[in-house]
Amino acid sequence: MPYVIHLLIMVSIYSILALSLNLVVGFTGLVFVAAAAFFGIGAYVTAIVMTSFGFNFFLACIVGALFSALIAFAIGAVLSKFRGDYYTLASVGFNIIIYSVFLNWQTVTRGPLGIPGIPRPSIFGLSFSDNFSFLILASLLVILVFLACRFIEQSSFGRVLRAIREDEKAVSVFGYEVLYFKLATFVVAAAFSAFAGSLYASYITFIDPSTFFVNESIFILAVVILGGLASNRGAVLGAAVLVLLPEALRFVGFPPDIAAQMRQVVYGLLLVILMMYRPQGLMGEYKL
Amino acid sequence: MDILPQLILNSLIAGSIYAILALGFNLIFSTVNFFDLSYGAVAVIGAYAVFYFSKLLGWPLFVAVPLGVLISGTIGFLLYTSVYRRLRMRRSSNTVLLVASLGVLTALQALLAIFFSSQFQTLSATSSGERLFSLFSGSITETQVIILLTAVAVLLGLAFVLKLTLFGKAVKAVGDDEEVAKIVGINTDKIIGKVFFIGSAIAGLAAILVGFDTGIEPIMGLPLLLKGVIASIVGGIGNVYGGVAGAFLLGFVENFGIWKISGEWKDAIAFAVLILFLVFRPQGIFKK
Repeated sequence: MPYVIHLLIMVSIYSILALSLNLVVGFTGLVFVAAAAFFGIGAYVTAIVMTSFGFNFFLACIVGALFSALIAFAIGAVLSKFRGDYYTLASVGFNIIIYSVFLNWQTVTRGPLGIPGIPRPSIFGLSFSDNFSFLILASLLVILVFLACRFIEQSSFGRVLRAIREDEKAVSVFGYEVLYFKLATFVVAAAFSAFAGSLYASYITFIDPSTFFVNESIFILAVVILGGLASNRGAVLGAAVLVLLPEALRFVGFPPDIAAQMRQVVYGLLLVILMMYRPQGLMGEYKL
Repeated sequence: MDILPQLILNSLIAGSIYAILALGFNLIFSTVNFFDLSYGAVAVIGAYAVFYFSKLLGWPLFVAVPLGVLISGTIGFLLYTSVYRRLRMRRSSNTVLLVASLGVLTALQALLAIFFSSQFQTLSATSSGERLFSLFSGSITETQVIILLTAVAVLLGLAFVLKLTLFGKAVKAVGDDEEVAKIVGINTDKIIGKVFFIGSAIAGLAAILVGFDTGIEPIMGLPLLLKGVIASIVGGIGNVYGGVAGAFLLGFVENFGIWKISGEWKDAIAFAVLILFLVFRPQGIFKK
C-alpha cells in the first residue's frame, strides 16, 4: 500500500507537469523540450526558501511559481521569435543553460551535492508529513491545475490559442496580438510546472540537478504526446500510463539501475511508435 | 608556460571535432531537411563498437576502428529505412520527424547504458603513455594530432565527393527539390539512404576520436549531437562548408569563454552562442 501511494503521488506530480506542458504544446503547437527547467526552478526555489529562510511550504510554492513565471517571461520573449524546429532546439538550449545554473551556481544550489532536508508541508497545525495526507494535497493541486487548464481551454482566450495553432497569420489579420497570447500561455504553464517542482522537492525532501536535465523534459513531452495533444484528460492519462508502465518492469525482475534505463527505452520507443502510427496520441484532437 | 597558445590549440582541437560532427549532420540535413536528433546516438554506437571490439575482444585497432565507423553508418542507414523513410512517405511534418528522432536518441542511449553500463570508459590503450608534442609552446597529444588531420581529411573527402562525382550532384539535386530530382530520374530513395550511411559513418568517426581523446559514456550522444547542430546552425544550416566555420567559431568561443569563467559553463556558453545566432542571424554565417 505505501508503494501504491508513492506511485499515485508521482502520477500527480507528472499530471501537473503534463497539464502545463500541454498548454504550450497542445494549444500553441510548439514542441517545447524544457519543461524540466521550470519543474526544476520551482523545486529549487521552494527548497532554498524553505531550508534557508524557513518559509512555509505554501508560501514557498507561490514564490517558486512567481519566480518561474518571471524567468519564463524572459525566455518566452526570446523563444517567441522562433518557429517550428528552431523553437524546439532553442528550448533544449534553455534547458541545458538552466541545468548548468543548477549544477554550477554552487553558492546557492550546492551544485551536484543537491539540497537535502527539505521539510514536508504543514499549515495551521495540519501536517502533511505522512504520504497519505501528502497524496491528498497533491491530488488537490492536480484538480486545481486541471480546472485552471480547462478554464483556459474553454474561455475565449483558449479559442484564440487554438486558432493561432491552426493559422497564425489569419488570427493576426483579425487584430489579435499573437505574440501576447503565446507568451501569456507560456508564463502560465511555467508557473504551473513550478507547482509540480514544489511538490516534488517537498515530497522527496532532497533535490539535485540530475532530475532536471533534458531527459526529463523529453519524458514529460512523451507523456503529453501519448495522452493526446490539447486534451487535459489525456495529459493525466498519459502521466498515469508512463509513470506506472515502467514500474511493471521492476516486477519482471530487472535490477533497479537497468529498470531506470528500461524506462527510457520504453518512452523513447513509445515516441517513435506514436509518431509512426498515432501522432495525435490516445485522446488528442490535434496532430503535430 | 604561456596560456594563449594552449587555448588556441584547444580551440582548434574542439573545433575539429565539432567540424566533423557538423559535416555529417549538415550533409544529412541538407538532403532531407529535417533535424535528425538520433545522429548523436548513432555516433556513440560507433564508439562503443570500437570499445567492444578492441577492449573486450582484443582485436587490433586497425580492424576495430573501421568496423566501428561502418557500424555507425549501417545503423544510420537502418534507422532511415525503418523509421524516417516511412514517416517521410506519409508526408509527416518536420516536427513529427524531429520528435521521432528524439525518441530514437533516448532509446538508443539507454540501450547502450544497459549493455555497457553508464560508466565512463576510455578507448585509448594506455592511460599514461601517450606521446606529447609541443607546438608554439603549447602541448598536444598524438590523438589530438590525429583529430586535426581527420577533420581536414573528412572535409576534403566530402568536398571531393560532393563536387566532383555524379553521386554528389545527385545529392545536391535531392536537397534542392526532391520531387524534381525524382522526375529527372534520380533514385532519390537510394541517394538519401547513402547520405544517411555516409553522414552517420562520419558521426561515428567523430565519437570514436572523442573516445580516444577523453572517453565514452552512453549519454554523450546528446552533447555530441548538440555541438554538431549548433555548429551547423551557426555556420549556416544546410551549407556543408558553413558548418565547418561554425564549428571552429564554437570551439574558440567555448575555450576562450572558460578562460575567464569556470569550465563547467562550457555547455551553457555553447547554447548562448546558438540562441544569440538564432535571434540575430538565423541564417548563420554563410547562407545556403
